[in-house]
Amino acid sequence: MTGRHYVGSREPRIDGRDKVSGAAHFVDDLEFGPDLLHAAVVESPHAHARIVAIDTAAAAAMPGVVAVVTGADFPFTFGLYMKDRYVFAQDRVRFVGEQVAAVVARDPAAAKRAAAAIEVTYDELPAVLDVERAMADDADLIHPDLGEYPHVPWFFPRGGTNVAHWRKIRKGDPEAGFAEADVVLEDTYTVPRYAHCAIEPHVVVAQQDHAGRLTVWTASQSPYIQRDLFADALGPLGLTHHDIRVITPYVGGGFGGKAGVTMEIIGAALATAVKGHPVKLRWTREQEFYNTYQRQGLVARLKVGAKADGTITAIEHVLEWDAGAYVEYGANVVNAAGLSATGPYRIPNVSIDSVCIYTNLPPGGPYRGFGYSEFHFGLESHMTRLAQQLGIDPVEFRRINAITEDDTLPYGRAMNASGLREAIDRTAAAIDWGTDAESPDPRTRIGKGFALFWKAPAMPPNASSAAFLKFNEDGSINITVSGMEIGQGYLTVMAQIAAEVLGVPPSKIRVETPDTDRNPYEWQTVASHVTWSCGNAVLAAAGEARDRIFEVVRRARGYDPSTLYLEDEKVKCTEVPELQLPLSDLVTSGLAMEDGTWRGGPIVGSGTYMPEFTSALSNPETGQGGHPNVHYTTGAAGVVLEVDLETGRMKVRKVALAVDAGRAINPTMVEGQITGGVLQGLATVLYEDMRFDDEGRLRNPNFTDYKIPTSLDTPDVVIPIIVEVPQPDGPFGARGVGEHTMIPAAPMVANAVADATGLRVTSMPITAEKVALAMLAAST
Amino acid sequence: MRTVTRHQIQTVVNGEPTSVEVEPNDVLLDVLRTALGVKSPKIGCERGDCGSCTVLLDGRTVRSCLVLAVEADAHEITTVEGIEHDGLTAVQEMLIEQSSFQCGFCAPGIVLAAAELIELVPRPTADEVREAIAGNLCRCTGYESIVDAVLAATGSGTSATSRGASS
Amino acid sequence: MTIAHGFDYVRPATLDAALACLASDGSRVLAGGTDIVPWLRDDLIEPEVLVDIKAIPDLGQISVTDGRLILGALVTFSDLIESDVVRDAAPALVEMAHQVASVGVRNRATIVGNLCAAVPSLDAGPVLMVYDATVEVARTGGVRSVPLVEWFVGPKETQLAAGEMVTGVTLHLPAVEHAAVFLKLARYSGEDLAQANLAILLTAEHDCRLAFGAVAPVPFRAAAIEAVLCGNALTDEVIADARALVAGSISPISDVRASAEYRTHMCAVMVERGLRAVASRLAGDGPPYPTHLI
Repeated sequence: MTGRHYVGSREPRIDGRDKVSGAAHFVDDLEFGPDLLHAAVVESPHAHARIVAIDTAAAAAMPGVVAVVTGADFPFTFGLYMKDRYVFAQDRVRFVGEQVAAVVARDPAAAKRAAAAIEVTYDELPAVLDVERAMADDADLIHPDLGEYPHVPWFFPRGGTNVAHWRKIRKGDPEAGFAEADVVLEDTYTVPRYAHCAIEPHVVVAQQDHAGRLTVWTASQSPYIQRDLFADALGPLGLTHHDIRVITPYVGGGFGGKAGVTMEIIGAALATAVKGHPVKLRWTREQEFYNTYQRQGLVARLKVGAKADGTITAIEHVLEWDAGAYVEYGANVVNAAGLSATGPYRIPNVSIDSVCIYTNLPPGGPYRGFGYSEFHFGLESHMTRLAQQLGIDPVEFRRINAITEDDTLPYGRAMNASGLREAIDRTAAAIDWGTDAESPDPRTRIGKGFALFWKAPAMPPNASSAAFLKFNEDGSINITVSGMEIGQGYLTVMAQIAAEVLGVPPSKIRVETPDTDRNPYEWQTVASHVTWSCGNAVLAAAGEARDRIFEVVRRARGYDPSTLYLEDEKVKCTEVPELQLPLSDLVTSGLAMEDGTWRGGPIVGSGTYMPEFTSALSNPETGQGGHPNVHYTTGAAGVVLEVDLETGRMKVRKVALAVDAGRAINPTMVEGQITGGVLQGLATVLYEDMRFDDEGRLRNPNFTDYKIPTSLDTPDVVIPIIVEVPQPDGPFGARGVGEHTMIPAAPMVANAVADATGLRVTSMPITAEKVALAMLAAST
Repeated sequence: MRTVTRHQIQTVVNGEPTSVEVEPNDVLLDVLRTALGVKSPKIGCERGDCGSCTVLLDGRTVRSCLVLAVEADAHEITTVEGIEHDGLTAVQEMLIEQSSFQCGFCAPGIVLAAAELIELVPRPTADEVREAIAGNLCRCTGYESIVDAVLAATGSGTSATSRGASS
Repeated sequence: MTIAHGFDYVRPATLDAALACLASDGSRVLAGGTDIVPWLRDDLIEPEVLVDIKAIPDLGQISVTDGRLILGALVTFSDLIESDVVRDAAPALVEMAHQVASVGVRNRATIVGNLCAAVPSLDAGPVLMVYDATVEVARTGGVRSVPLVEWFVGPKETQLAAGEMVTGVTLHLPAVEHAAVFLKLARYSGEDLAQANLAILLTAEHDCRLAFGAVAPVPFRAAAIEAVLCGNALTDEVIADARALVAGSISPISDVRASAEYRTHMCAVMVERGLRAVASRLAGDGPPYPTHLI
């Protein structure tokens, strides 16, 4: 068995040619013929108001208009983890931009004109625009019916307040822990809201045919979740899972923004109002910013104690999340962060409060990092500061306290094996930690920053994956799965896993994008879990196909299956080197017998995977007793940063990031996640943030003023480091890395700025302006 | 709504003479995608910020979301579908070989931006490549894999990003 | 989102025909379109007819005659970058053009369009001002030449009257040896609108001209700062004097791009760094054109 191995190999992406040639079609590229209608949405101009009246008469009479709908037509709620969101606003609007009504018309211009002609009368209510106001005793209630909303059992909403969920973790005795500490450091860190900025906006095309079947084409990370939520929300119209089909072709980036259901529910609902017609709704870039999901804002109050020898004794972490107007998905970000807000450290005494707070800002939701980027900013800033107060090197301090598999997690379970220690050492070496870098430019100083990170997939305990695999006449393979290729290389990695088992090169394997009628179930493509979870399903499907091949060869040729193996697209035998049976000779045709009869038949395989050891049930007051997370991926990152002391302008000279991939199925894809994630993370600290005015209106809903990096704004050098300590239940030992790579960026920059200038910045972003003005203030 | 004069415009799209009727307020990007079925220019921001809608107009990149279709009358438009009639360009092949793109939404625009650069500067430096594609936003890759592939395809070496530091 | 507003479109072949079209109410010139098309999409303008001037011969000219650099109304930012004439005569224009938007916009956007859009952050304003530029305006039956320092009336407002169009802009090149710099402060190195910008021109006879953009309703020449610089060698003391006058010379606002405080601080820094760079360029050992100087 000397043939090629495909796992661990830098195989070119199997979707590369589609994308580089222009052949790749995204939802908006699909053709629906001359019957296609176009929708435009009427949005709330107020952050909080009662809807008094909606006058649609003028719009309905305009040329080209086919239908006008309002909340009265769809009095339905929806939500992934808590049903608190509305297809269209009902009695009140809760954020600027919320959908109030919609027009369906023959062409986009007619829809746009008619939407502008709809008159909505509002009675303004006081807007709650920050967590402090929302938590005040006399705060206006954003959801008076909160106590009635259905939700998953691991949420603890507080009816009659603006608190949608409160995740508590209590472990050990924090008071005693702080008492034995030699140094206790307390501070507050703030993180604003951020936008995903996938370059493809959200698009939905939906059609309910005259037989009643609803097909929805979406730019989504979550086709099955979408079908489920469409069936749930539109169930009153008589629609069931059986009637609904969701098709998702290539997706132009997700980053969490296309997880769950946001604007797609509008398209699905509108299709039922114009039966027979396909209807398209494409978000503008502006709507993309203010009416999908946003990364939630955070105020983190952090207290950590440590002994003189560097041992951390206790942590108290209070996370107050500005979760926005609807938290049906965002509350689980709050939950996930709360479970893990110690960071990757051994801390015996823990108190965590992660509080999900409604505000009259756009809905919060999943964003690459899922709450971890947000709390790591404060936590990893704090660890460096604490080390310095103790007189211990910040990297050494992290080595002392880094969590190992002998330690317990905040919720009491054992930590998984991880290469965290190796990641620390290799990252420190890559940025020459411990040696000062001198700037040749007298106007600038060079600082270094370091940060650790960890993250677990945040999933329901029964989140699962499935795969179908079939051979074609020529020995090529089609795999159907329902994870999404959102750029991370999922299709290629699934092909490599099957290739490794079946001895067929990835270039002869097609992995199809989802269609819920044809492809088997996948929970959704979030949580950096599809390589691990769906990879296990593909591994099982390929194994089943392999076993069937061996069984055919046994029945037709009499070989013992235990001596057979697959290599170079052939069936081979360890005992009989002459056996070189091409797969194409048997995978659809079967094998011929001497009497002219045949054995076998088309080779197919199926596989599923669900972790059967997880449970979300735990004591609500302590978080102990459950097993909410499957495992953690860990790593370390360091930066060399040049800061102009006068202008505040920063140049990233070098970044090194080490992540424990368990097993890199494709090192090029892992490195792609590192270089891409590092830049996305750097952008959140150096350039981006969402700015709202005092009426809750987003001031920068465009790339003109929300500055995502260009090719001129990259680090000079990025050093990707792959650590491989296998995940025992992962396919070939793999675990996910997709989100993790952006988590350490903000604190490592904060630490480098402090190293270069002596200034400690505790609020994101850390723009040139902020640094310059802080330097100016410090010098006067 | 006022009545406007429609225009029959004559263009060469990806090498083929094409005639299409447009209204003055039709944007070139929309006409390419709907009336002409050319799907590689993408709708990303519709205000000239993202570069997803890039096409070559008489050989130079333009944001087709900022061009009225009627302005293209008597001009030549090339998209990634028509950039090479016989297979793909060397840059495209290198972008595939090096798995430079991730989601691929920005890819058609970046391929055209690189093609324009190479027409002007056959062996560009890394800085020149970065400037040429700076108007094409990519949220996935961090750009270095793209810059590296363009440099590799034009024989200009590599950018500063370190590769192969993996175990 | 589509353009919902309907309008007519004409593409006259001569300047006279264009001017005749522009005599009608609701007409508007279309050149590069990089400002106009987004404005149409956002319903910020609702013209009756767009007059596309791109078929008019000669409006793309770039030429130097008698110490004047003439740029026609169709000269794009890419044309500036690629023109040997511009590179030789006024390389600071190239330095500016490299910092405007990005290639796909620069291929289309015109420098005259930039002057006509007249947004406070326009990059062309300050650099043209230090070359004592004049805006060449035509109407049926006549032409006029407007000094650029008088051209801007307010944000998005110019002296252009109904029925007129700009045919070009003229730079008056100093007869003596000189150098210039253009500095643009932006949030990052990629495409951005200026938080502040600055152009400085220095001659061998110690004539020094200095113009700001994005820190007042319109770009302007900073007369008080020029007064302390003109006639003097740029010693540390003179530069410090100039720097001290910056805060009193500008009137920046706080907006989503920067605070007034940061703009004020950075304009002082830019004046100092700009003066040192322009002096070294004049001395022959400065940073090459184009360089991002801030």
